[in-house]
Amino acid sequence: MDRFVDLAVSAVLLAGLYATMAYGLGLIYGVLRVVNLAHGGVIMAGAYLGWILHGWLGLDPYLAIPLVVGVTFLLGVLTYRVLVRHLPRGAAGGPASLLLLFGVWLVLRNAAYLLFSGNDQTIRTAYSTRAIPLLGSYVSVNRLAVLAIAVVTPAALQLLLKRTYLGRAIRAVAQNADSCTLVGIDVERIYTITFGLGTALAGLAGLLSATIFSFNPGFGSGELLKSFVVVVLGGLGSVFGTGIAALVLAVVEVFAILVLPSYLTAAVGFVMLVLVLVFRPGGLFGQRVLG
Amino acid sequence: MSEPLLSVDAIDVFYGDIQVLYGLSLEVREGEIVTLLGSNGAGKTTTLRAVSGLRRPRAGDIRFRGKSLVGLPAAGRAELGIALVPEGRDLWAQLTVRENLDLGAYHPRVRANAARNLERVFTMFPRLSERSGQIAGSLSGGEQQMCAIGRALMGEPVLLMLDEPSLGLAPILVDQVMRTVSDLHAQGMTVLLVEQNLRKALEVAQRGTVIETGRVRLEGTSAELSANPEIRTAYLGL
Repeated sequence: MDRFVDLAVSAVLLAGLYATMAYGLGLIYGVLRVVNLAHGGVIMAGAYLGWILHGWLGLDPYLAIPLVVGVTFLLGVLTYRVLVRHLPRGAAGGPASLLLLFGVWLVLRNAAYLLFSGNDQTIRTAYSTRAIPLLGSYVSVNRLAVLAIAVVTPAALQLLLKRTYLGRAIRAVAQNADSCTLVGIDVERIYTITFGLGTALAGLAGLLSATIFSFNPGFGSGELLKSFVVVVLGGLGSVFGTGIAALVLAVVEVFAILVLPSYLTAAVGFVMLVLVLVFRPGGLFGQRVLG
Repeated sequence: MSEPLLSVDAIDVFYGDIQVLYGLSLEVREGEIVTLLGSNGAGKTTTLRAVSGLRRPRAGDIRFRGKSLVGLPAAGRAELGIALVPEGRDLWAQLTVRENLDLGAYHPRVRANAARNLERVFTMFPRLSERSGQIAGSLSGGEQQMCAIGRALMGEPVLLMLDEPSLGLAPILVDQVMRTVSDLHAQGMTVLLVEQNLRKALEVAQRGTVIETGRVRLEGTSAELSANPEIRTAYLGL
């Protein structure tokens, strides 16, 4: 029973991280119909940004959030304005944007190898190893903080999308861009901001991961694949669905430990991905675009 | 004679290699209802898309209040007060009625007046007020048309262009849409109306332009066009 509670708690904590990784990917796909393969590279970049700010300037990773989010937002804006903007969209642009953004990822990764070498790095803080009792098991303070941010982030995102003119315009562009220009929405501006937001969410996820896991320039590939699973599972673009899907993936992965050898647990997500694509291609909750 | 509100001057419009409009010209004066008539594929929708900036002419000029619109993107034209209610409504189906209307007041010039304009739209279409929390895609065809017109009105248009507003509506709703157009006109709105329902269109409009395969075929007042024997046989089935 104790074991069960332990696993349930760690599944919930992990789910928060998965959801944070997936929002950015889902947002960009939902609005621009572009699969951002550079997502993994930005997660890695977010981890290194946090590491630099912590190691060189002594900035606590949680206080570094605004900076990392700001820098990766600008990185996203730049990627869109310089590269993605010029590509065809939708089905026609599929191969072109996949290759281009994969290239962006390779550039980010190799830049990181050049700057930081391939050694594993960690962000260690005073509270990295601290744990508090919760539901009869011990829970890392840091993981709780990650979960808290993982809950606040989608709430803030949802508030932005539902309550502000900008957010409504983002959802409207996702559904019908022509109608948007007819009411005076600068669609290119919305695309730019959306790409920035999605990239910033990846940066945030990278920073949060770096407080838990060790990382090197190759970091982010597994994270990208897990983001795919969550996005497909959750039905593209639904903030709520993404959260639930992240929980499903985390629970299945964590509890798979009970029945599968540990080297196979990583495959669980992909088996789920295949099953969902075959049996419920619209995601667990049906396909809605940022509705 | 003063400068017309809108003048389309010999525009050529292409879709890829296929030419749809051939030197098409058209004028709409302040306070008029002008109707653009013609059969399917004649280029009516394309003309409206060119005026609203969704489709760029390869040649010719479009002027609004005497200033050329060439080079001005669609979003900027909306700010000038050029509104299009597109064919098939093109609402944001997964946004609520209220969100659709709110976004109609997106550009800065009208955002401050959004509350007042929403009140006006709800007074004009009480049905929308009842359904304001509903997803726009769940509305009936007539309600969607009201919502699309309401969205355009939220932007305080100077020129309202309607593309086949009666398409797919029951006759009673067609009458209601036409009455709305007349009411708006009575309040001083300038309207460019594209219709397949020629009879209804000529009832509300003062002038009409008939286009055929991308060229102007006939022009005249509604009375002249209604009396034209060619129109009577070809379009009115008399």
